[in-house]
Amino acid sequence: MPLLRGFLTLLLFLMLGEALRLLFQWPVSGGIIGMLLLSLWAMLSGGVRDDVALASQKLIAILIVLLMPGVVGVFFLGNRFDGQWPAIALALVGGTFLSVLSTLALLRLQLPDSSKARSHD
Amino acid sequence: MTELAERFQQLLPHLLGTPALAVLLTLIAYFLSLGIFRRLGQPAWCPPVLLAAVLLAALLMLLAIDYRDYQQGADWLTFLLGPATVALGVPLYQQFHHIRALWRPILITIPLAATVAALYALVIAWALGASGEVLASLAPKSVTAPIAIGINEQIGGSVSLLMGSLLATGVLASLFVEWLARWLGVSDDRLIGLTLGINGHAIGTVRAFEISAIAGAFSSLGMGLTGVFTALLLPFALTTLGVI
Repeated sequence: MPLLRGFLTLLLFLMLGEALRLLFQWPVSGGIIGMLLLSLWAMLSGGVRDDVALASQKLIAILIVLLMPGVVGVFFLGNRFDGQWPAIALALVGGTFLSVLSTLALLRLQLPDSSKARSHD
Repeated sequence: MTELAERFQQLLPHLLGTPALAVLLTLIAYFLSLGIFRRLGQPAWCPPVLLAAVLLAALLMLLAIDYRDYQQGADWLTFLLGPATVALGVPLYQQFHHIRALWRPILITIPLAATVAALYALVIAWALGASGEVLASLAPKSVTAPIAIGINEQIGGSVSLLMGSLLATGVLASLFVEWLARWLGVSDDRLIGLTLGINGHAIGTVRAFEISAIAGAFSSLGMGLTGVFTALLLPFALTTLGVI
């Protein structure tokens, strides 16, 4: 039962994250708080138990399936945003292009020789 | 005979009453998309999540299933996004020594990159005359779905348009990172992973794990910190700017 035991631990951290979110009114989701708490816990206790590592690996592998139900909603919007699609499309394509470019440029500026450092590994 | 035909007509509504049909259709679309993805030679411009969403939409339309009915059944899958987000803490921990070595650029880059990720899209959409509702739906486009929905509850906007923007952003970010990293001569998996997570949230992170475990860990980190930072600042920023 290592898979279920690992899942139990993940659920406990999720609950803890949700509880903290509600108690302190943090605008961050319980899952992300749980994620940060789990890595903090692993650091403090000196490692991740095998069952937690197993459950986490299995869940990460099916992340796409979990995203699908929400994502497919975009095909059922109907005509609500008629006339605004060019603006939406350009904002998404142009905005994402520029932000990826900015992030990469920013990282390269700070780590100019990173590409060389890696190739020796 | 007519009785059987009548019962046959009740079949779809009855099956929709259980989560089984929604989960089944989702899995069918997923496995089909994996097969097609492999057959196409695993192209970055058409990741499985995009194929799967298109196939699933086609299946729902073909069977004349209402999206809201489907969504109710598929809640069983959506719920698992919570523990799956927590699960990202494991690769984050396992790659922590790599992350610690780069803590300074990470702390400098994420606030700036997360800000411009929202800002570029907002400015472009605003300049082209998009409505406030559209702007609010586009603003959290680079944030992972569970956090983006939390932000949406605060700033408003259409959830479906937001989810579509997340899909488009994730796919485009994976594609642009591939092109631009090559163009800028960045070949470090850590930086590529970080860029994927900051700009392409969970879809970028899926792509990063395809590249390497290190890229995946940095992507998880970039996604997590971008989500936290955006969730804290976006509602405040939009109120100050008078968008909402």
